[in-house]
Amino acid sequence: MLVFRKPLEGIERPQMPADVIIVGGGAAGMACALRLSQLIDAYNANNPDSQLSKENIYVLEKAREIGQHCLSGALLDPRSIRELIPDFEKEAPIEATVSKEAVYFLTVKSKLKFPVTPPPLRDHGNYVISLNRFVKWLGEKVEAAGITVFTGFAGSELLYGGAANGNRVMGVRTDDKGVDKHNEKKSNFEPGYDLKAKVIILAEGSRGSLTKQLILRFKLDADRNPQTYGQGVKELWEVPAGRIAPGEVIYTMGWPLTSREYGGAWIYGGKDNIVSLGFVTALEYADPRIDPQHVLQEFKKHPFVSALLKGGKMVRYGAKSMPYGGWWSLPSLGGDGWMIVGDSAGFLNSARLKGIHLAIKSGMLAAETAFEALKSGDSSAATLGQFQRNVESSWIKDELWKVRNFHQAFTHGLWPGLLHAGLQQFTGGRGIRNRYPSAPGYTHMKKLAELPADGGAEAPLLGPAKGDARLTFDKLTDLYHSGTKHEEDQPAHLVIQNTDVCNSRCIKEFGSPCQNFCPANVYEMVDDTTEPNGKRISLNPSNCVHCKACDIADPYQIITWVPPEGGGGPNYDGM
Amino acid sequence: MPDTILVVAEQREGKLNRVSWETVTAGQALASQTGWTLEAAVVGSGISGIASEVASRKAAKVYAVESPKLEPYTPDAFAFALKQFIESKQPKLVLMPHTYQVRDFVPKLATAMGRTVISDCVGYKKEGDKLVFTRQMFQGKLAADVSFGCEPPWFVTFQNGAFRGDKVETGAAAARVETVNVEIGDGVIRNRPQEVFKEAKQAVDLTQAEIIVSVGRGIKEQKNIELARQLAEALGGEIAASRPICDSGWLPMDRQIGSSGQTVAPKLYLALGISGAIQHIVGMKGARTIIAVNKDSEAPIFEIADYAVVGNLFDIVPPLIEEVRKAKATG
Amino acid sequence: MKQVPQKDAPLKLNETANWIREDVSYEVNEPDAYALEEALRQKEKHGGEVAVITSGPARAQQVLREALAKGADRAIHLEDSAFVGLDALSTARVFAAAIKGEQFDLIFTGLQSDDFGFAQTGVILAELLGWPHATIIMQIEKTETGIRVKRELEAGYFQYVDMPLPAVLTIQSGINKLRYATLIGIKQAKNKPLRKVALAEVQPAISGNLQKIERLYVPQKTKNTEFLEGSAGEVAKKLVDKLRNEARVI
Repeated sequence: MLVFRKPLEGIERPQMPADVIIVGGGAAGMACALRLSQLIDAYNANNPDSQLSKENIYVLEKAREIGQHCLSGALLDPRSIRELIPDFEKEAPIEATVSKEAVYFLTVKSKLKFPVTPPPLRDHGNYVISLNRFVKWLGEKVEAAGITVFTGFAGSELLYGGAANGNRVMGVRTDDKGVDKHNEKKSNFEPGYDLKAKVIILAEGSRGSLTKQLILRFKLDADRNPQTYGQGVKELWEVPAGRIAPGEVIYTMGWPLTSREYGGAWIYGGKDNIVSLGFVTALEYADPRIDPQHVLQEFKKHPFVSALLKGGKMVRYGAKSMPYGGWWSLPSLGGDGWMIVGDSAGFLNSARLKGIHLAIKSGMLAAETAFEALKSGDSSAATLGQFQRNVESSWIKDELWKVRNFHQAFTHGLWPGLLHAGLQQFTGGRGIRNRYPSAPGYTHMKKLAELPADGGAEAPLLGPAKGDARLTFDKLTDLYHSGTKHEEDQPAHLVIQNTDVCNSRCIKEFGSPCQNFCPANVYEMVDDTTEPNGKRISLNPSNCVHCKACDIADPYQIITWVPPEGGGGPNYDGM
Repeated sequence: MPDTILVVAEQREGKLNRVSWETVTAGQALASQTGWTLEAAVVGSGISGIASEVASRKAAKVYAVESPKLEPYTPDAFAFALKQFIESKQPKLVLMPHTYQVRDFVPKLATAMGRTVISDCVGYKKEGDKLVFTRQMFQGKLAADVSFGCEPPWFVTFQNGAFRGDKVETGAAAARVETVNVEIGDGVIRNRPQEVFKEAKQAVDLTQAEIIVSVGRGIKEQKNIELARQLAEALGGEIAASRPICDSGWLPMDRQIGSSGQTVAPKLYLALGISGAIQHIVGMKGARTIIAVNKDSEAPIFEIADYAVVGNLFDIVPPLIEEVRKAKATG
Repeated sequence: MKQVPQKDAPLKLNETANWIREDVSYEVNEPDAYALEEALRQKEKHGGEVAVITSGPARAQQVLREALAKGADRAIHLEDSAFVGLDALSTARVFAAAIKGEQFDLIFTGLQSDDFGFAQTGVILAELLGWPHATIIMQIEKTETGIRVKRELEAGYFQYVDMPLPAVLTIQSGINKLRYATLIGIKQAKNKPLRKVALAEVQPAISGNLQKIERLYVPQKTKNTEFLEGSAGEVAKKLVDKLRNEARVI
């Protein structure tokens, strides 16, 4: 019997008032907190008689430690961090300065180098970083600045209030702790807190759960393109010295994907012989049997990749989704009591494959708006709506406007996509029309009946990888290296609206793709003779790496990811 | 005085704790390698019989360290008595089994004598004239070779199962038993222990089991676990399982072995229908002997098994139960 | 309380292979979390104050903060990375030196640490302080003369022991459900007293380790897997032979 996580009803919840709550301690959330602290410090220095306090400004981070759930390639464009901390190079953890870059088109046995690196992928002046380490560093500064970061606490619900129809976001409810598998209180039960705050900033990362609730409730995506996503699967490897230079950046496209799928790989040389490599597969592929973790394993078999990794050791594994929709998919950014920043809003430049600098900048702009709200005492849409306008007049808009149609251009495959992308380069992002449409990724998923039984050209990417345990790995082995741990005795946090759909329909129509798009073996169809098709959906929630692929890619859209008990999740040390 | 190794055997309420034989084996091995003399001691009240039992094995001499105040066991009394005894005999090396009781007093004893204990060792090495003792650290992930940086007596406790109690040598003749009476003054003992009693423990502690029969997905259905249970019973061991079995509720959570369950290192681990995912392996790879039965010849469990059977466990286990029962009956 | 590398952390040896590289994630030693939980429960039952102490570099402060957030009243941090290399005896000595002048009634420790696993520090501390002690304690009750504790023995046996105060107890893991720190608790922890003790203050108490880790290494297991073949009956017989003569369990 699957019991799903739901905040307990009819219990008294402790209250704690707050001025500003930032939900999510990633790049955007921490940048926001730090900027807010800077503004308050400056203000207080000039206003000895009316001081603003940082006492009631909180960052809620669901991981046990700051940075633990942060995963990215990553390449950092230093533009925004330089604005936030002008001499950040002196103290920030940087793995390497980009020294060399190459873009390859792969076929099964060979690689063709692009004679000229496409402008969006030119990384001169950028840094190879570990997002986990970078955010840890930012977090230390935030704490040193006097802003409390609550680790191990998730935002599980938004609290609404105000006018008759609850148009205002009043606060955040944190997760109930000590609830058992059957949603009953354990002896160490601690109810989630109701944190009422003037300003709530959602910085939950890609496909944020509170963000999803908010967008749904207030239809913040009206007139927008639906958001689309890619799934990144990453491994950190330790390789013999000399294989790759620190700061060497490689992008690939093509094999093992066909022209029908969108995606590609990255390989970044870090320090101490550490290589970050990963494959991003857009979650809009047609064949439900495609398994993004398998795609990465397949990719590693390419001669040039296996030569790079030979004799090395896989050190860590992880996966995360990322928003590809770009400018036209950004929801409304600020309203009565709330703002949305970072990947939760979708500030990612899909052409450059970079979003950290935009997340940081969006966090900074939100901080400036929040600061105005604190000063004026007004945090209604009148004040917080200014955030939207600030973003539109900032370099975030300049940058994202130029690539506003990039990802959508690939809807009909790789070659048309490249053509459009090339055209967009010369037309300031316009291409053939100002706004290219998009459709949610899951709508592209075809039923098994419409696909070749053997999978056709995509055959090597279908289903779970077996792995050879040296270069390639099966999902469970990879998962072990993600350091994922959760309190075992808690309700399932992957809320499936109707498991009958899984057992009766999906298994026949799509072949239960949850087993494939989940990089962590959370979903399994197990034998059950009482079910019409002999199988039933079973969950291993404690394997979850919080990537949100299921929430995104499920063709029936009946899966809702909610945060499990705070403190649980992957451990992306060094990622 | 010749250099001696002193093995302090453990007795509880008049019965020798069998794990002491392992310590005697260790002592004998060290004695033959170093050329030092092996002696043993038993501490308690009215324990001459036990001392004689120990003396039946190869050792130069066995002492019965006696005092009425040594029964019941208290750390104060044992530390006091042994301190006095060791100061008088001055052994170079003092060996004990790493039991709950020894953990309770030997650090106190060593500290009172200005010395240190290298505890929970799994072996030793002789490097030239130096002895180093091997112990597991970080829950078995790493091993450490540790040496003493002080004068003797050197205190060492050995992990249960590190040495073979059944391999202890018998001497040509029984060793001499000497009783040493110790005076323990009033005020030394501060604890007042009550009767020892048994209680049905709520959760099974698989880490204490010597034999474990473990089932995985290959067991197919809950009712088939009965087969494994019978095998466990025949062998005198405990039943355990990999994660999916416990997740399905077929066995309680406290029977789970693996990264989200218990880590065990029994004498024998019998894996039935377990594929050997890394999450499971990290919980049992320290087992002395691993036997795996699985239909899939490529199952990763075979990489760490000592004995492997590629086959259907439902074919193999019933005759195995029979053979085990037969073997145990004939003794 | 002790801060130890996280249980799943991939450990790497340092250059001299006598310790690990410290660039891993740390957490509180789980047995110590149970010791803290028991202490907090005793405070809830009988009133009083709970103090927590640890030794280690700056990162170890996290353990104290978490303890304060859960309800401990004050903390003592022997802060210096040199403390990491001390053996159990030296560690107990510096703790004893750091708490000189305090009037504790009870000192709790976890039953062993997840990194060293010596299980000695508590017992040594008792000896240094001249206090009675008991190990692997499941339950503590107050009595007229002091306390009555329930000791766990092997093989499912237990024993009650009456002891005077002050005393040192090492606490069995898993006897209680660990409480969660609350948001209020975390906030309040910031204002609770945290006394730092420098190495120099307690240096006189130590005089060098009495034992030394010569080397640390990954245990190599050379497995030669022997495949047993034949009919089911034949394999069963072969297995029993192995069980009897190799594994020695029959």
